[in-house]
Amino acid sequence: MSQLDPQALFMVVTTIVVGVVIVGGCIATTLMEGRAVVAAFENMARQPSVADRISGLIFVTLAIIESAAIYALLICLILLFANPFASLFR
Amino acid sequence: MGVEEVFPHVVFRPFGIPIQDTVVQTWIIMAVLIPLAYVAGRNFQIRPSRWQHLVELGSEFISKLIKLQVGRHIDGLFELLATLMLYIAVANLLGIIPGLRAPTRSLNTTIALSIVSFLAVQYFGIRERGLWRYSRSLAEPLGCILPLNILGQISRTVAMTLRLFGNVIAAEIMGQVMFKLMPLLAPLPFTLLSLITGVLQALVFTSLTVVFIADAVGRMERKETEEKG
Repeated sequence: MSQLDPQALFMVVTTIVVGVVIVGGCIATTLMEGRAVVAAFENMARQPSVADRISGLIFVTLAIIESAAIYALLICLILLFANPFASLFR
Repeated sequence: MGVEEVFPHVVFRPFGIPIQDTVVQTWIIMAVLIPLAYVAGRNFQIRPSRWQHLVELGSEFISKLIKLQVGRHIDGLFELLATLMLYIAVANLLGIIPGLRAPTRSLNTTIALSIVSFLAVQYFGIRERGLWRYSRSLAEPLGCILPLNILGQISRTVAMTLRLFGNVIAAEIMGQVMFKLMPLLAPLPFTLLSLITGVLQALVFTSLTVVFIADAVGRMERKETEEKG
């Protein structure tokens, strides 16, 4: 097996880690968002009188849950563009 | 890939102070919004014009938000929320104009916005309840919970910053990458998605601010006014 130079190895490892992080973060967030939406819709069907309030709240709640995925994205962006350890491999 | 174009860069440095392009875009928004707000507030009639309907729709929305969360009138709260909402919505949507980008894609802009929100929470809390009662409410129900409350106040401010920043920069980067891959039609769905998330994030930022302020000015007073009204 030929020897990779350290910078190329660093790039490969970073790319793989970023892929894993973004997939994991998105899957977990989407599953939980799905649960929230199911609960909201069930209760809207059960009590149509409060459907307006629920539909207003669910937008805000989903945006807040989605920030978990955004944090994963931010970590990925830091790893890709502003990695503090990148200078060690130059 | 040219993704680096998305990140803010220094445009010019008068007197050695670096000015980033996000600041210039903020100036553009100010130059548009301030005269617009001045014109919108004049010539209100009993029989509203089309333009007045639009202004009333927006202000009624924010009044409803305050009524739902706080339950009573607080001086200055409406103005703060309307300004936050207008500025963030316009700033997030600025990226769809060719040649301009959303100023909220810089972490500095969103930090400034959430510091305003954080200080507003302290200001309204102290003004409505008094310094002593407000500080004591941070230590309720137990004294040992005080550090946790302070930590919570700081961490939710940081969370607001990162949420707005992450959403906007994700939309900008997706648009840029799709533009580089296939400039014709491919960025269009992502631009449409960024329209929704831009307005939604402005709404989320405003609602979180009003929830925190409602928390700071106290729930006891809120119940009393509900029973009265």
